[in-house]
Amino acid sequence: MTRYEIRVVGFGGQGVITLSKMIIMASSIYEGLAATQTEAYSAAARGGKCWGEVVIDLDKNIEYIDYPKALKPYDFLIVLSEESANGVKVDFVKNEENTGFLIWDPSTIKKFRAAKKINKVLGIPIQKLAVEKFGNIVFGNSILFGIFTILSGIFSEESALETLRKFVPNSTLDKNLEAFELGKQEAMNFLNQIKEENN
Amino acid sequence: MDIENSKRFLPEGKHLMMGNIAMSEGAIAAGLKFFGGYPITPSTEVIEHLAVRLPQIGGVCMQMEDELASINAVIGASLVGAKAMTATSGPGISLMTETISMAANLEVPFVFCDVQRNGPGTGFVTEPHHNDIGLMRFAGNGEFQVITLAPMSCQELYDLTITAFNFAETYRCPVFIMSDAYLGHIHEVVNIPSKEEILKKVIDREIPDEITKKFSYKDDNTGKYIIPKPPIMGTDYCPTMFLSQPHSSEGLPTPKPQLFTEMMIKKITSNIDKISLTESYKLEDAELIIIAYGLPVRASYRAVDLARKEGIKVGIFRLITIWPFPDEKVKETVKDAKAVIVPELNYTGVIAEQVERVTHLSTPVVRIPNVCEIHHPNDILKIIKEVAK
Repeated sequence: MTRYEIRVVGFGGQGVITLSKMIIMASSIYEGLAATQTEAYSAAARGGKCWGEVVIDLDKNIEYIDYPKALKPYDFLIVLSEESANGVKVDFVKNEENTGFLIWDPSTIKKFRAAKKINKVLGIPIQKLAVEKFGNIVFGNSILFGIFTILSGIFSEESALETLRKFVPNSTLDKNLEAFELGKQEAMNFLNQIKEENN
Repeated sequence: MDIENSKRFLPEGKHLMMGNIAMSEGAIAAGLKFFGGYPITPSTEVIEHLAVRLPQIGGVCMQMEDELASINAVIGASLVGAKAMTATSGPGISLMTETISMAANLEVPFVFCDVQRNGPGTGFVTEPHHNDIGLMRFAGNGEFQVITLAPMSCQELYDLTITAFNFAETYRCPVFIMSDAYLGHIHEVVNIPSKEEILKKVIDREIPDEITKKFSYKDDNTGKYIIPKPPIMGTDYCPTMFLSQPHSSEGLPTPKPQLFTEMMIKKITSNIDKISLTESYKLEDAELIIIAYGLPVRASYRAVDLARKEGIKVGIFRLITIWPFPDEKVKETVKDAKAVIVPELNYTGVIAEQVERVTHLSTPVVRIPNVCEIHHPNDILKIIKEVAK
């Protein structure tokens, strides 16, 4: 199985769907991998429990994704709101060496029981960082995109930056690039931490 | 004209698109000039997109006051020579049936995209449910044949919309594209071919030469049904009248409704080999055959691959054209099968019923009904294993 399953859940308006679109653009347009993105389509997308999913096939010879929904256990799960954290269980993410990441935001989620039991968990106050460092929560998406780029390793940094340029307005590009860099650093620190723990 | 050509075709290469947008772009590539519609979930992105795109290429996108006006505007536009379409969902197609029947009678080509949602009534508007399949065949009063195509990916929504317009121009009948709330909102890469490649495929609406100043008719010498190019109102190349009654090849009232009805049916069914598009997957040695269309095909591919690993001989016969139903092809495909499995996004099993009809119930047909939720590959695998026992 070469499918890579990604799910992003949160509150409508947080950029959940945008992030999933950035992930599919980087992997399919710039890396040439087969991918499918699906998203919440209802009032939820405008404020409520919202989700976006991407399935990517890591095998370059595969031309399209047969089953379009992300299947559990996920390779990558990003949880951004209290409501969406409640339903998460330990077996939602893979328990494998190089995959099975859970990213969550302690600035929006107070209690996240399952997070304690999952192996590769990174709790990072994305909203708080975005507001403190860049003045607006919308930059949280670029932080997350930086984290995803490093941890998943599916697409190159160049592909990620090309995607970022397509998605953000020119006037805020510099700030978004900074946010992306911050996410990258956090992810690299996290990977080092995992390595140390394993040693 | 320069503006038209520069904006009609997207740059060759990969584009990330939502299903509804891919369908709209396919229509523009096919030469769409008029869209008449009334926004309805989950098809709304189509009218949103075309409202921006059509004016760029010298076309017109009109949001009418309701569905009835929309479909009538579409038929009017097509009569005067514009390639025309509408997009709606279940409640919209219910309202439009009167004019669909009229358009079939007048042999006006048009394309109809039904982005299906749950029903009946208002239903659950954001969930996929293949519950208009019957309506897409029997829309409106009277006997006539339609063509319905069932894409399963964004790429196919683009490609098959071009095919749909070609079928409409060739056979002069309503052509439906069967989409749904899920497919319409998937984002995938669409490979856009070069302008030259697209133009090679597209059948244009041109002023026909004099001899085709007619409606369809049966050639008594050869017994073949001849479908002339669609005439264009306002030019000299137009039959005498457009009537909502049975018409002769000249457009005059005919006292022979029997022959007219026969022509309406046979002009499509006698060309079924060209209209019926199908695909086969691992059918060579298959003992169990999945017959599927639209989204369930994708889950079926995975289920078949998994079942094959366990040594179960199963394959897929995929219907891309669901109406007219390819009786002979299905009969031939399933003749040695132990059983046929039909996963559908509805409870009735509309296509399962068709399979039962053509096999005269001699082969067991196992339905896998599902509503408002696409089939998980394991749902299909489970049934494959049960049937294989």
